[in-house]
This record gives sequence, C-alpha cells and structure tokens, in this order.
Amino acid sequence: MVRVKHRYLTVQYLYPATLLESAPKDLPTTIQFRQPTPDDFGAGRLVQAIRAGVEELYGDYGLGMVNTGLKVNYHSTATSTSIIRCPQAHYQMVWAALTYMTKLPKPANTPVVVRVIRVSGTIKKAEEEVIRRAKQTVLQMKMIEAGMAEGTPVNAIMNAVEKSVTKEDARNVLAEVDEGEATEEET
Amino acid sequence: MFYDLNVPWTDNHGELQRTVAFLDELGYDIVALTHTFSGRLPADLVGPQRSPLINVSTLHLFSHAQVWPTPSRGGCAPTRPDWLIGLTVPPQTPPIPLPLPFTIPSRLRILRRCNLFLTDAASNHRIPQLQQHYDLIAARPTDERTLQQACASLDVDIISLDMTQKFETHFKFPMLGSAISRGIKFEMCYSQGLLSSDPNAKRNLISNATQLIRVTRGRGLILSSEARNALGIRSPSDVINLASVWGLGHERGKDGLTKETRSVVEFARLKRTSFRGAVDVVYGGEKPAVPEQTAKAKQKGQKQQNNQNKRKADSMEGTPTSQKSSSKKQQRNQKPRPKAQQEPAAEKQVDQDNQA
Repeated sequence: MVRVKHRYLTVQYLYPATLLESAPKDLPTTIQFRQPTPDDFGAGRLVQAIRAGVEELYGDYGLGMVNTGLKVNYHSTATSTSIIRCPQAHYQMVWAALTYMTKLPKPANTPVVVRVIRVSGTIKKAEEEVIRRAKQTVLQMKMIEAGMAEGTPVNAIMNAVEKSVTKEDARNVLAEVDEGEATEEET
Repeated sequence: MFYDLNVPWTDNHGELQRTVAFLDELGYDIVALTHTFSGRLPADLVGPQRSPLINVSTLHLFSHAQVWPTPSRGGCAPTRPDWLIGLTVPPQTPPIPLPLPFTIPSRLRILRRCNLFLTDAASNHRIPQLQQHYDLIAARPTDERTLQQACASLDVDIISLDMTQKFETHFKFPMLGSAISRGIKFEMCYSQGLLSSDPNAKRNLISNATQLIRVTRGRGLILSSEARNALGIRSPSDVINLASVWGLGHERGKDGLTKETRSVVEFARLKRTSFRGAVDVVYGGEKPAVPEQTAKAKQKGQKQQNNQNKRKADSMEGTPTSQKSSSKKQQRNQKPRPKAQQEPAAEKQVDQDNQA
C-alpha cells in the first residue's frame, strides 16, 4: 500500500556557551554541555523555530514543502533530546534549519548548538537511539563519579556493558512501532 | 577520523579550552589551531613559542608531553634552538605556546597552522622558514592576482578564501585546477555563515560555496569551522548535510572532513620530514644485541675449526648442504607420517644442526 513516507530526526541540544549558576565549577565538560533544556522551550516552540528557520533559508517554497509533515513526536527537556518527523523528500531542509539555529526562541533565548544524532526511516530506531544515548550518558557520568580517569579504559568498559544491556532491553521501546517498513538510516 | 583544520588561536585560554573540549565532544579527532599573520611578516620569525614562565631546564620534559603524541612531528626537535632565541624577543601577534596552557582531552590531537594574508603578490612570504614552525601553512588571497599566485606557484598546503566577501570575478577551473593537481586543497569555513548577524555574509557564503563546488567539480575541497567560540562548531554529520545542501553531495562532503583533510595533513608532514617527499624513515629500528653474540659464536667456531681439524665433518653440519641432506634423511625415515607432522621434526633437526 502506498502511504506518506517520513524521516525521523533524533536531535540533541548542546549548551557549550552557558553554565548554570547552581552548577559547581569543576563539573566535567561533557556534563556542562548536556544541560537540561529550559522548560519554556516546549514542542510547540520547537516547531515554530524550525518553521522560522526553514523560511529564512528556503523562503515560502521551503516552508510549503516542509510544513505538511512536520511534527514533534517526542520532546524531553530533561535529557535535551527530541524526535522530529518531517517529509522524506525534504528532510535536509529541516536539518539545515536546525544546523543554522544558534539560539532557543524568545523567552529562553539561550545560545544552543543543535546536533542531529540520527536520521531514521522508522520511529522505532529513533527511539532506540534516544534510549541508547541516555544510558550511555548515565554510565559515563557514573564512571566519572567513581573517580575513573576520563578517557582510556572507560570506553571499552562502556561498550561491554552496553552490549549486555542492549541484549536484554532490545524490545523496550517507548511507543508503538511503525509496521512494515524497512529501516533506512543515514548519518 | 574527523578533522577540523581551522580553529583560530586566541589569548582567551578559557574560551579556547571550551571550544576544544566541545570539538572533542562532537567527535572530532584532530584539530588545527590557527595563528594568523596579516600584513608584513615580522622580521624575527618565531613560530609557536614556549611561554616565558618555563625555564630552559624543564624544556626537555615538555618536548615529550602528552600534548604532542608524536614529538618528531612538525619539526619539534630540530627547531628547539629557535624557540630559545624566541624567548628573548616577544613577537607581535600571539603565537601558540608549545605545551598548551590548558589541558586538552586525551583523545584529541592538536596541530598548529599558520594563516598568511596575501595582500601583495610581490612580497616574499618566507614559506620555507614558516614550514619549520607550523604543521600546516594556509594562504588567504585577497584579490585575483594573489589567488593566481597562490594557485600557480606558492608552496602552501591550503588555500582558504574568505567566503563572506563578494569576489569581483568568477573562479576559473584552469587556475584552481592547477592548484588541485599540485595537492593544494581549498577550504570552506562554515562558521561565519552560522553566527554572523549580517545577512549578506550568509548569502555570500552560500553563493561562494556553490561557486567553488561547481568550479572545482567537488574535488580538493575541505570543510572546517573557523569558529571563534564553541557556538560556531557543528558536529561532522551536520557539516556533511550542510555541504550536501550546498551541492557537494554526501560522499564528497564526508571526504571533505576525513579523506581530503587527512591527505593534506600527511602530505604536509611528509614535505617537512622526508627526503623530497618520497622517502621517509618511519622506524629505523634499534641496534639488536643478537649480532654481537653471533659474531662471538662465529669467532669461537673458527677457533674450534682451527684447533680441531679432525672433527671437520661435525662443524660442517651447520652449513646448508648438510642441513639439506640431514632433513632429507629425516624425510626418508619418516615417510608414512603426514606432512604436517614432518615439518616440525625437520625444523628440530635443523635447530640441532645449528647448535652443533
């Protein structure tokens, strides 16, 4: 059956320029970059920001092409990640608009770097990626907390742990799965 | 391995450290810090300098510091006397001190690069001298004539055009092609287009980038940030997407961050360290202790030979002819055995012969 096809962009927000006032000074830089997103930056504001960005880059034509399929499927301010659905043929426009984004929209107004970490054809793979990233971050933080040196042996251990974890939780996904479509990915 | 070959060096170390840490976070492996020379070169050309706080006695400790995983790279060792001279004369622009004044992530490798502003085609840039001090030399032509000069004759590694300004003439393939065939890469810096508040700069960057991609036919292009702070940096996949939006295509875009950049870094390294860019001693090897022993053994053997002429046959067993005959004998004796078992036995026999 023919149906409308989409791309799912998994997006991460990084804050390289600002430091929370409550945060201690000697926080590892990886945690500093992954601050929680301000709460007033919701899914609605994200869609507005993307539309504004696409319009700035591509004008009315781009906005018309992108507008139909644009939707935020998942948005978490605590982990600074979201999954954005966009039309398959024009996902590069949305991606470029995200790349050109330098600030969160008005009330928050924080300098931000938006990073696309996964382009997927199904929402299932996008969700798996979000879960994998979150687990990885938690593990990394635990390693740092435990006083292990940042760098050398951590990655090897993390990979080993990750493998065992992914085996167990392969089926643990947030939402319903798009059926009957092969995964297409690009990074 | 992702490369970012243009991160401007600043005196604001805190800011630069954040930038470098952020590059590491995004997955870059090799970063080049850029030191820009504008106008005339200073008379006493000192490259990356040690900070005056470090006294001479500690110099040898730092030459193998972790900041430089390969101490021989970029002519670190041969230029040491120059740094010592440089300590007495403060240069005009902030140079890059060799042990960086801040800690960098362990995975990251840092290179040093120098940017030359070409304003006058007649001036002498003393590039061979610069090559001793920096890992990469980039030229930034400001007009048509200097671009022509850089493409045709200058011995630089990268030609980096200021993409935010409008050029009077179109780029021409014969000119750029001659540079590409000499192994020089053209650099596109994306950060200005992201951060600049001037909409004209953004437009110029996009139009220049598409022009450059069209004229070079996608060959010999590298992508780098030229980010003055961490906000101007994007992750490799984002940059590749941006390049593909500009018309470079995914594959070429990826090459612009990995293959082409690696080739320019390695080519520059070979130019500096090797003999005419063709022959390089990668590892000369150590002087093995074994030959001395064998030499002694030989002498002993000779003595024995001289002393005991009667036992000539025994000492002859070490020679290849006797080896062959003895192993043949072995084979003849153990014919019914499978081949795999035979060979170790034959080797054993040879060993015994050698010992004898």
